[in-house]
Amino acid sequence: MSFLDPILDLFRGKAVTIPPMDGALRPNTALDDGEVVTAALAPDNLAMLNGAPIYSSHREIRRIGHDHAVLESCPADVSAIAVGEDGTLAIGLDDGTLKLGGRLIGGFNCITAAAFHGGKLYVANGSDHVRPSQWVSDLMHRNSSGSLWEVDVKSGQRRKLAGGLAFAYGVAVDAANQRLIVSESWRHRLSSVPLSGGGATEVLSRLPAYPARIAPHAGGYVLALFAPLNRLVEFVLQEPSYRADMMREIDSRYWIAPTLSPPDSFLEPLQNGGVRSMGVHKPWSPTRSYGLVATLDARLQPVSSYHSRANGRFHGVTSAIAIDGVILAASKGGNHIIRVQAGGGVS
Amino acid sequence: MTFRERLQAWRYNYIPDHVIGEILSKRWADNAIPFLALVAVIAVFGTAIPGFFKPFSLLESTRQLGEFAIVVMGLTVVMLAGGIDLSVGSMFALSAFSAVAAFFIFHQPVAIAFLAALATGGLFGAVNGYLIGYMRLRAFLTTLVTLVIGRAIYDILVVDYGSVIQTSTASSDIWDFIGDGDLHGVSAPVAAAAILAIVFHIALTRSRPGWHILAVGGSRRSAHNSGIRVRQTVFMSYVVSGLCCGLAGFLIACRLSGAGPGTGLNQEILAITAAVVGGNSLGGGRGSIAKALMGAIIVLVMNNGLIRLGYGTGTNQMVLGIMLAAAVILDIRWLKNRHKVLNEVYVAPVYHRMGETQSAEPGSGSPYALNNRIATTEYIGLGELEGPEDVVLDRDDNLYCGTRHGEIVRFFAPDYRRSEVFAHTGGFPLGLAIDRDGNIISCIGAMGLYSISPKGEVKQLSAETNRSYTSIVDDARLRDPNDLDIAPDGKIYFTDSTTRYDAHDWVLDSIESRATGRLLVYDPNTGATKTLLDNYRYTNGVCMAHDGKSLFFAESWACRVHRYWLEGPKAGTAECVIRDMPGYPDNINRASDGTYWMAWLGMRTPSFDLALRSPGFRKRMTRRLPQDEWLFPNINTGGVVKFNETGEIIETLGDMTGQSHPMVTSMREHKGSLYVGGILNNRIGRLKLDKADPNWTGPTSYWGARP
Repeated sequence: MSFLDPILDLFRGKAVTIPPMDGALRPNTALDDGEVVTAALAPDNLAMLNGAPIYSSHREIRRIGHDHAVLESCPADVSAIAVGEDGTLAIGLDDGTLKLGGRLIGGFNCITAAAFHGGKLYVANGSDHVRPSQWVSDLMHRNSSGSLWEVDVKSGQRRKLAGGLAFAYGVAVDAANQRLIVSESWRHRLSSVPLSGGGATEVLSRLPAYPARIAPHAGGYVLALFAPLNRLVEFVLQEPSYRADMMREIDSRYWIAPTLSPPDSFLEPLQNGGVRSMGVHKPWSPTRSYGLVATLDARLQPVSSYHSRANGRFHGVTSAIAIDGVILAASKGGNHIIRVQAGGGVS
Repeated sequence: MTFRERLQAWRYNYIPDHVIGEILSKRWADNAIPFLALVAVIAVFGTAIPGFFKPFSLLESTRQLGEFAIVVMGLTVVMLAGGIDLSVGSMFALSAFSAVAAFFIFHQPVAIAFLAALATGGLFGAVNGYLIGYMRLRAFLTTLVTLVIGRAIYDILVVDYGSVIQTSTASSDIWDFIGDGDLHGVSAPVAAAAILAIVFHIALTRSRPGWHILAVGGSRRSAHNSGIRVRQTVFMSYVVSGLCCGLAGFLIACRLSGAGPGTGLNQEILAITAAVVGGNSLGGGRGSIAKALMGAIIVLVMNNGLIRLGYGTGTNQMVLGIMLAAAVILDIRWLKNRHKVLNEVYVAPVYHRMGETQSAEPGSGSPYALNNRIATTEYIGLGELEGPEDVVLDRDDNLYCGTRHGEIVRFFAPDYRRSEVFAHTGGFPLGLAIDRDGNIISCIGAMGLYSISPKGEVKQLSAETNRSYTSIVDDARLRDPNDLDIAPDGKIYFTDSTTRYDAHDWVLDSIESRATGRLLVYDPNTGATKTLLDNYRYTNGVCMAHDGKSLFFAESWACRVHRYWLEGPKAGTAECVIRDMPGYPDNINRASDGTYWMAWLGMRTPSFDLALRSPGFRKRMTRRLPQDEWLFPNINTGGVVKFNETGEIIETLGDMTGQSHPMVTSMREHKGSLYVGGILNNRIGRLKLDKADPNWTGPTSYWGARP
């Protein structure tokens, strides 16, 4: 008797649910089956510079190629990179510094992504409370202090376009509609913000994972999702006192929280379904880490997806870009960069 | 400890939430709602009606109740057999008329009148039973027809003979006593109903015909397939109902000394309402006499109460109808959802603060530091075995282990490539040991303690212990017998890990963390089993000390090892020898150098330790999340720990890759090798030990050289 459920929920507890991975996001093993481009230490943000793919890895920016040349070495971990039409490189650092051309621009707190368009740089500031490397703490505090900024490339002047975002972790320019697409990780959705500034409007909601960076691809977009929604984590997010105790007493590596990499310590939490039985770790078991890249059409609806499931290796994809019908995905948690064929029948 | 924590500890450790789940898992829990309704109805009408509880008033109302309850009990028997009897009102009225006619018209003695009433009821019941049982007509329509025809006959007879009866001069003291008298406040109808209730209760719960009735009602086809004569059983149930109506009819005939047009009118509606409101299932197979009695009282008190309060027939019928509808809905919903409710409320976590522990991380420098020593073992039975919880080797070096399919498998020495099913037990064999005569003694999950002879014959040794006085679940039953060891005098010491969960749900016990684990002893001389220790958090491995004067046992969810003394000044007491380990201990076995091996089934995690201090969090988790998503202790990493007589840790072996032995539940040393098993693994691992005695074996250590 569904009409009684709200009343019965008071006694038995309301079920915690998450959106299913279905439709275009139906699980497959495309990421694990993909071609390994290179092993890399926590590869993070991918971009194209002068026709060649580059990636950030801790303090360095490297080129993918025979030599893996270090293009740039920074004083702090690189948290975002973007390349302009003219080859201008914008680098966000973990300490909040934005390097644009030769100039250092301060005032940001948590630069997670950036995109050039028409002489402007659009910067996603994840949170006013934490640095990019402390993202998990931002989620567990249930902050929504992210913002979106416009920086004038010539003058370095900056202007806030939108605030109150629940961890802005990706930004892409939709020039045709004069708007920006921004991923709001903690709300599991994509929102749009007019180029001129203003409030954020939801454009794709109920994602089954936390969205990260978004890049253009064949008239649409390619979206990296860095960790799956997990019902236990969602439950912990609704348990303030346990969460507070956990954050106070336990090392953040062992929290009941999403993570980028597959489990590698026995001190990490385990859920019933994740128990290894008869030598098998079930791919559909509840997991805190996952690998997921989705392609979206121009209306931002998912078209196809590439997965590394609970028992896979290439988890924690924070960035994906498309080059000539090929998608490159940086598995930060799996320490590899993977190549998959775009639209290769995976939907 | 913060105030909030202290409050939680108090709330969850002193309020026994687990009782709710245990009561719900009982069959008699179905009686709770009708019982509450009964109390409420009596309370409401008892206060609303002046003089309700006065002796005279009670005597008169219970007279009617006795008659009514007899009819309802008969109807309940029919319903339990999966049928329905609408004709009870007519049978009741006709039986009453038969008694009255025999007594007043034909001037027969009371006994003949009684037999006439019974015969009338029995005959009508037999007609119903024949048509429904043997001719296989629909119960509803058939009894509707007998209801209408019976009523018509009665109406004709009453009109024709009413005046003859009224003017009759027949009288009898017995007749008057049955109708009007009482013995110490107990009237004949109440006595008859009480005796009948006891007889029916015993018959239904403890006799073959009674079980047949329940079986037929529960599932006709299964009953037929198991050889029950379904048609005869159905027939008999209607005869019983008819006889009950006959008895009730005789009683009302005595009480009213006559028969009027209103006798038994609408009785079927009252009776069916009573049976269903009491909680008897309309679908058959579920119900009891106690339910019938409760329903009878509820309906009659309600019916008569409303009349005495001045409400009309319409209101009365309306209330009955609503009650019937509510009872039917509740019956169907409850039947469908009972197991879901039970699932949601059964886990009742308690507060448990684990002690600070040393690190087990590789390179931490603590004696518990794990390594990869058992990551590369030689596999035995990979892909053939499922769930070797324990392993044991005999004097001929053959290897035995249990499987989750209920078998004990023997791997043949020396290479263990060949295997056979040594014995089939039917349960899940857990702990194993070999006794002096070479029998394998096993704790079999959900079954008990068993012995398997060298020829593979399975014999039960023990399946129960003494029952404690305060338990709701049957704790005499061995629910999760886990590991055992044998003392030099042949007594078998074993653990029963929890009284709350079945063997396959063993990890759920860790979420609850309630201390219900026991240490038991089985004495082969007397065949008796006795509880030695109680209230441990999942008692697990047992190992006799090398000198046989004490034993070690593991308390898994508290991460402790205790020593229980069999002899000496501390005999009969236990002391904790290892506490606050970073892993959850499982089986314990002897090592060749005079020390002991202990398996770790899993590792403590900071998040689970914190959850143990937050019982409310765990309780909400079990209600709001499906079981697959629940937070567990980390049982994907285990290990093997060696400790000595004083509880000092000597070395620790682990498998950080989780590829070979993620969870270790047992290990056995034999001729310089260690054999490693895991309840969720699909292999046994064999590890060559460097410094072990290459000739040492378990049977020699326990029972000396081969006789």
